[in-house]
Amino acid sequence: MSDLTRRDLLGTAIRGSVLAAMGGGALFLVRKANGQVVWQVDAARCINSRLGEVGVEACNLCTTECVVALSAVRAVNEYAKCGRCNICPAYFNITSPVNALGQPSEKLCPRDAILRKPIGKVDPEDPANNFYEYVIDESKCDGCGKCVMKCKDPLGLGSIVLKVRYDLCLNCNRCTISEKCPQDALRQLSVGQALG
Amino acid sequence: MQYRQVQTIRGTFNSALRALTTDKRGLLYAAGDSQIQVFDAAGHLKRRWPTARPPHSVAVADDGSVYVGQEGQIEIFDGPAWRNPELLGRVTAIGFTKDGVLAADAVGRAIRRFDRGGKFLNNIGDNNPVKGFLVPNGVLDFAVDAQAVIWAANPGKHRVERYSPAGELLGHIGRFDGIDPAGFTGCCNPTNVAVGDRLYVTEKAVPRAKAYDFDGRLLSVIAGDVFDPNVKNMSVAAAPGGRVYVVDTVKLAILAFEPVAS
Repeated sequence: MSDLTRRDLLGTAIRGSVLAAMGGGALFLVRKANGQVVWQVDAARCINSRLGEVGVEACNLCTTECVVALSAVRAVNEYAKCGRCNICPAYFNITSPVNALGQPSEKLCPRDAILRKPIGKVDPEDPANNFYEYVIDESKCDGCGKCVMKCKDPLGLGSIVLKVRYDLCLNCNRCTISEKCPQDALRQLSVGQALG
Repeated sequence: MQYRQVQTIRGTFNSALRALTTDKRGLLYAAGDSQIQVFDAAGHLKRRWPTARPPHSVAVADDGSVYVGQEGQIEIFDGPAWRNPELLGRVTAIGFTKDGVLAADAVGRAIRRFDRGGKFLNNIGDNNPVKGFLVPNGVLDFAVDAQAVIWAANPGKHRVERYSPAGELLGHIGRFDGIDPAGFTGCCNPTNVAVGDRLYVTEKAVPRAKAYDFDGRLLSVIAGDVFDPNVKNMSVAAAPGGRVYVVDTVKLAILAFEPVAS
């Protein structure tokens, strides 16, 4: 083995260690390195998250077409963008009747995959006097996109998006979602692009 | 009670039209891009001038001075700007009391009260468990009535709250409802508010302008379908005779409505 090759190997190991520390998704990407590509949802193309698309039903092709159980595409809440609203249109069915707490009486997610937790001390006299954290339970989410559609600007802040989970995706050469997606929103990225 | 659209004012804004106000003569001031444009009641452009930074709000004092809210400052025509990045993070509304100036800081989620010389006096709306207004929409809007009561939109609570200039919460109107038009829908509405002979508000997703009495009873859905469905933070201004101006921030247009005589 030449010196150059050893340096390359050492560099790769260090980069891999750093990426592994960034989380499980990054670890899977490192394993898939060496010039491979991965599939990812382009939020600017996906009709569920694309700005300007209002008043249309959520597209669920990521659920129905993926060969992985439930789907390798799951909803992800990007917390830095989330408004932590009392009444989140991605969590509640905001057109359901209002209950005694002044909130919609029904949830939006058909699989009850979003958890709503108050942040800090709850004001017992006024539930609106609080922030709320919304967490996606990925074991339940099947990527149907209903919450993504309702979180989209201007109704929401666009914090919930669909993402291919690299640890679930089989990385098929011909992604079945990609073949059916009318928006061509499933894109192949290099590992470097995916790590952003 | 019904309203009809009587006018569409387009101005010459290129990329942004964010705020409106009227003065006591009935002139309409619009803030967008990096300029102020002034229109008469017929919609004719009378004046325009540039601003130092992109404007987020505009208000006219009794003496005719024009205050323009921006990021980090209030620019006054003609006078020295009030610069204070900590208290004036992004000024999305300005109003006046007899002896003071009020500025909504959407970054700090509070209304700042100053004396006429620019000396800070007190905050309004930050004395609560969430330490301010809930404005995920990025705009904090308010209006001041003839009794110096401040009507502030608190969209995250689906309310319009009433405050004294000293910061005391006097009460509120409004509630969430995704079906009944008397309520406020979505995550965060109403986004904007104006006070005239009635209380006027605008909502986003689905966009609409509405009129309420001061006890919170819905009087009219002024308009809805005429706005772009992607519009938000529609500034609203009341003019004499019950006329209401609403900004469509996507179409870059000002829509005027008047009540229809019953």
